Amino acid sequence: MRLTALDEVSERLGLKRGQGLAEARAMFPKIDVVDEDGAADQGLLEAIADWCDRYTPLVALDGREGLFLDITGCTHLFGGEEALLKDILGRLLQMGFDVKGAISSSPGLSWAACRFGRGGVIADQVTEAVLAPLPVNALRIDEATIAALYKLGLKRIGDLLPMPRAPLARRFGIHLLLRLDQALGHNEEVISPRRPVAALSAERRLAEPIQAEEHILQLAGQIAISLKSELEARGVGGRVFELVLFRVDGRVFRIAAGASQPLQDPKRISLLFSERLNAVHDDLDAGFGFELLRLNVLQYDVFRISQGDFTGNGDSEISLADFVDRVSARLGADCLQIAEPKQSHVPERAEVFVPAIASRIVREKTEEIFTFAPKSDRPLRLFRHPELMEAFAATVPDGPPQRFRWRRIVHEVIRAEGPERISPEWWNDEEDVEERDYFRLESEAGRRFWIFRAGHYVAGKTAPTWRVHGIFA
Amino acid sequence: MAEHATAQETLFALREQIARLEGKPLPALAAAEQADLAADPEGQKARNNQPRLPFGIPPMDTALEGGLPLDGITEIRSLLMGDAGAASGFALSLASHLKARQPGDAPVLWIGDVVSTQEAGIPYSVGLKQFGLSQRDVLYASPRKLDDALWLAETAVASGAVVATILEIRGNPRHFGLTESRRLGLRAKAAGRPLFLLRHAGEEEASSASFRFLVEPAPAARRHLPEGSELGGSIGHPVFRLTLEKSRIPAPLSLLLEWNPHDRQFSLGREAGEAFSFRNPPAHPGARLPASADRQDRAPALGTVVAFERAS
Repeated sequence: MRLTALDEVSERLGLKRGQGLAEARAMFPKIDVVDEDGAADQGLLEAIADWCDRYTPLVALDGREGLFLDITGCTHLFGGEEALLKDILGRLLQMGFDVKGAISSSPGLSWAACRFGRGGVIADQVTEAVLAPLPVNALRIDEATIAALYKLGLKRIGDLLPMPRAPLARRFGIHLLLRLDQALGHNEEVISPRRPVAALSAERRLAEPIQAEEHILQLAGQIAISLKSELEARGVGGRVFELVLFRVDGRVFRIAAGASQPLQDPKRISLLFSERLNAVHDDLDAGFGFELLRLNVLQYDVFRISQGDFTGNGDSEISLADFVDRVSARLGADCLQIAEPKQSHVPERAEVFVPAIASRIVREKTEEIFTFAPKSDRPLRLFRHPELMEAFAATVPDGPPQRFRWRRIVHEVIRAEGPERISPEWWNDEEDVEERDYFRLESEAGRRFWIFRAGHYVAGKTAPTWRVHGIFA
Repeated sequence: MAEHATAQETLFALREQIARLEGKPLPALAAAEQADLAADPEGQKARNNQPRLPFGIPPMDTALEGGLPLDGITEIRSLLMGDAGAASGFALSLASHLKARQPGDAPVLWIGDVVSTQEAGIPYSVGLKQFGLSQRDVLYASPRKLDDALWLAETAVASGAVVATILEIRGNPRHFGLTESRRLGLRAKAAGRPLFLLRHAGEEEASSASFRFLVEPAPAARRHLPEGSELGGSIGHPVFRLTLEKSRIPAPLSLLLEWNPHDRQFSLGREAGEAFSFRNPPAHPGARLPASADRQDRAPALGTVVAFERAS
């Protein structure tokens, strides 16, 4: 077992990362050792990354102990780079994290300056001056290369800078030069943000944190008003919205809500979240309140402006969409479904349930979709999995049973219609799927069933199975 | 004299309003209204304020006072889970009948019950299309809890976005009592949208539904051949055996109702004689006590009554 992380006191004692635990114990018998919990560390880093979303939407994780923030175009909101860095470090320090930060024009330089230098804001002119005294470890290269460089006496980055590039590349590989160029800012390096950048977003910072749900909703409505002009300018309406709530103590809540139709109206957007807040009521712990609210538009669609007529008949369409949105926001998109027809003659494949919120039937009033319309009767209710039954006295080879037992009840068959043969789809099914002969049966009680026989009666083989697939009205 | 008549009319109107609020007719009022009807067409108009869905079958419409109320709850009950086909068939045929008679393309909302779906299957869109409801006419909801289902039903009825709401429940759940049913009934009344409560394998229970049907399966009608005769042994249009358990008429009405999915129209089942064939004797031979019409019966004694011999 080895030490993977140290606190301030143990660092001062002279312990090192990577040191054996037995050795450290031998040196200082009283040290406290805690098992490493990688998942918890990762969770903490992600929570901090979430919190950092307040500064820029582009936050990327860097290994297990670092974050990259792309603050291009964001600094003026916080009063410049110096103020921004001071704000981040100050707030994190208040939360109990000892953090080093650096702002520079390349991720590589910032990385080096944070870990091996003094950090802070590094201007473009002093890049080489800052980089030169740092050890070669600051270049994000593997251990073997570092060892080889040390062996040659190239301990500092400053030693590498005046060297000719070709021999370096030949000896240590192209990777070293790439890292060097990235640190110097000659080579573009992109960071990969954790979340996709919202198409549109607006936020509100609060001097006094808010806790009550109605205040959150009211504020969400206000933010939606400021989004409206931008949505109108683009001619789009939001389909998926996300409300990001930054709690005072650094926790971040994200509440997403979808709409069946593109929305611009602030009132309807805020209504969407009112249902959503009701649904997540228990999970949303306001604590000491939220200090920053942001409304993101994650997905949008072309907004078609329709003019209402004098009779007001256009309202029913809006109220249906509204109803679908409210239900989907509260009970989840899967709760409300619509059956969309599929091109298949196999009964259970002829329809597929899709969420009403995503269905094109609700969204656009398209003309009737062409489907396979069976000539014979189909049941009113269909079992998802046909249920096994026992058939008695079935007419061989292809007749209906006189009597059958299903769910421990014997039904006497009075009338029967059939058979209707439905073959398996050879382009979808396995070879051993049997063809089915369907019958409509009416029992003496007047109940009507849709049953089928899978396969045929063949001499010398086991009898085919019978199943109930649906019931008629 | 004229003043007196006006005052009388106002009084009647107020009484009628109160009666409507309470959901009860006053017999004297009804009689007076009948008398008024000939002289005063305004009374007819006031009566029509309450939207009704006529069946087009005189005995049924009389019993329902003009048709199914479109601003309240109608309960559809089945005795056994095995009768789910007939019960859901009747509920869906009502929805289809209503849909055919209303303009606009608002859908019907089906709020399914999880266990009933496992027991009796999910409504099948291809079959529904043949039954008179196209694919886009039906929205399916499958809430996990009864509370969610009730919220959904309330929202749907209040929003006015759907033509009819069918709330499927199984048995008599404790969380769906008179209070909840009254709440739904008030919503329906305010929005003027019907709610069909489909209760599988349920007992009779006090609720704010103005009418309650007991649906039992009945042998289907025969298929008609083009020249007008019937095809023997065929299974044609579905037939339901309906008993109007709760209504304002004192005796329960019982009849066979045939649903024609092509015309989306009900008609009286004709083969009443075949229902009680020698293979299928009536379950309760002999005189049956009429079901209580206006309020709940007293609780029945536990267990079955057995005719023991006298001890002494």
